[in-house]
Amino acid sequence: MRRLALVAALAWRDLVHEARLFACTATGFAAVLAPLLVLFALKHGVIEGLRETLVQNPRARMVVNTANRGFDQQFLATLAARPDVAFVVPRTRTLNAEARFERPDRAGTVFRAELLATAAGDPLLGAAPAPGPRGIVASASLAARLELAPGMEVTLRAPRGAGASREVLELAMTVASIAPPSAFDRDGAFVALPVLALVDDFTDGLVAPGAEPQDVSAARVFAGFRAHARRLEDVVAIDHALRRGGVDVDTRAGEIAGLLELDRNLGLLFAVIAGLGGAGYLVSLAVGLYANVERKRRDFALMRLIGLSGRDLLLLPAIQATCIAQAGSALAVAVALAVTRVVNAVAAEAASADARAVCILDPAHAAAACAATLAGAILAAAFAGARAARIEPAEGIRDE
Amino acid sequence: MHSAPALLLERVERAHASGSGRFLLEVDAFAVRRGEAVALTGPSGTGKSTMLDLLALASRPTSAGRFVLATREGGEVDVAAAWDAGDLDLLTATRAVHVGYVLQQGGLLPFLTLRENMRLAQRVGGRGDLARIEELARRLGIDGLLDRKPATLSVGQRQRAAIARALAHGPEIVLADEPTASVHPALADTVLALLVEQVRAADAALVIATHDPERAARHGIEICAAILATDGTARSRFSRPAGAAP
Repeated sequence: MRRLALVAALAWRDLVHEARLFACTATGFAAVLAPLLVLFALKHGVIEGLRETLVQNPRARMVVNTANRGFDQQFLATLAARPDVAFVVPRTRTLNAEARFERPDRAGTVFRAELLATAAGDPLLGAAPAPGPRGIVASASLAARLELAPGMEVTLRAPRGAGASREVLELAMTVASIAPPSAFDRDGAFVALPVLALVDDFTDGLVAPGAEPQDVSAARVFAGFRAHARRLEDVVAIDHALRRGGVDVDTRAGEIAGLLELDRNLGLLFAVIAGLGGAGYLVSLAVGLYANVERKRRDFALMRLIGLSGRDLLLLPAIQATCIAQAGSALAVAVALAVTRVVNAVAAEAASADARAVCILDPAHAAAACAATLAGAILAAAFAGARAARIEPAEGIRDE
Repeated sequence: MHSAPALLLERVERAHASGSGRFLLEVDAFAVRRGEAVALTGPSGTGKSTMLDLLALASRPTSAGRFVLATREGGEVDVAAAWDAGDLDLLTATRAVHVGYVLQQGGLLPFLTLRENMRLAQRVGGRGDLARIEELARRLGIDGLLDRKPATLSVGQRQRAAIARALAHGPEIVLADEPTASVHPALADTVLALLVEQVRAADAALVIATHDPERAARHGIEICAAILATDGTARSRFSRPAGAAP
């Protein structure tokens, strides 16, 4: 331990003695590392951001059939059983799937909204629980119009007929939650399937006003469905499978295929640049430290002669390399952070107000870069030190 | 009673590549006691430095019949066996404690002050003695320079500092390779006189290499000249058997 302290002190004194050279070496390392860090920050900000936006937007994974047809529950169950399908819920005929909503405490202010069936695990609703038979999840725009908040009472009305034969189905509902804005961009209300089925049946004249939501019978046939793919990549396959089966669907398959390809190509591009840059960085680190040891060959030989062991001389360049690497990566992180800030400021000026940062220096990435630098530096220094430690003490002490 | 020679070599050889090709240094018998001062002389390339490096345990003998270092406390280090066994740690530790080496130049680490250079030799040799540093510096006339780095000193001052560094940890064997070659001739006598005086005061054995036997002799250093092979092969020999010592 005392020996380590002695060697560490020697290593440090040597660095301080050549402070300018120390600064140059550290700056040289920083000059290579800083652009790599900015590159990683850009990749993280742009590519991951783009990908996250797509992956996290549940509507991007949505598969909806276009024409109203008859789908029995066997078909829907088969669709739901596909491993690449995360969620399926039936739809009723579009014309029957709407209702008017009114707050009991604000009689007269009525808004028309589309009804959408939902169930547990609906990707559109995210973490919000599915509404019960007397609950609704209001879309963000409907909630804004009626100034709804979770727990409020709201009246659902569905009319049928006209003039004297006009009848209204009226259900007292409770607002279970408000859907995220990404779930549905028009006025809409997510309800349990029995509610949607009841409104459908009432509009068709199959049940009387005053009927209550009932469990859906197994024989019921639905006009359509809303499905969600498990992953973005799955949308294309589901789209093709349904079309082959004669079901016209509306998806973002084309857009997704393009984006996935762009993502793949950009990812490859970044991997190549980062790989080349990273390898170049480690090589520059290694030769820089190796040259340092070669230059000090005479001092090393003298230390061997005075009686420092080969182990000590293995340690000394490693300690110096640690100092240089730490100083270099600290400088690189500082420069990269500054550049990141400038890039984001420029990008924010060019883009809309809610644009996300395009250049994000993840602390984990910075830490990984510092750790890689440290490991590379110690490895290179140990390699160089091993050479210095192996020479006989008598070598290198004379100028001949 | 005669103490054992500080260094005793018998049938030690070291082959090395010199400018003109392979060269063989043979030491059939060589002994030096504490209190003795010996100068190795001979034309360049006859192995004076190689001999010093062998004595400093800094260079591996090609073969060694007997090579023993006797310490002041009466201990013995079998150097030949240590080289054979590859026990570099033992050789390094022995060198650190018992050997002081003055180089022709550059015997000081440039990043340490003179005092720190001497402290390093003491710490590595396991002997912390700040008073000895002051005392050595005073005797060598560099006591005002202890807190300066080597680069700020004259060649003569540096050489005196190198002597102080080699003596700082109180070694019983002091080696010096052309200690006056890089200093001004007028200063050479002063440096050599200081070296001999300090080694005597420390009761150590002194072996120097020099191309100037007259000057060495003037300072009471016994001359041991290289014997060159007469058969035309590149060989030389140093001989100073233990029995020949006064």
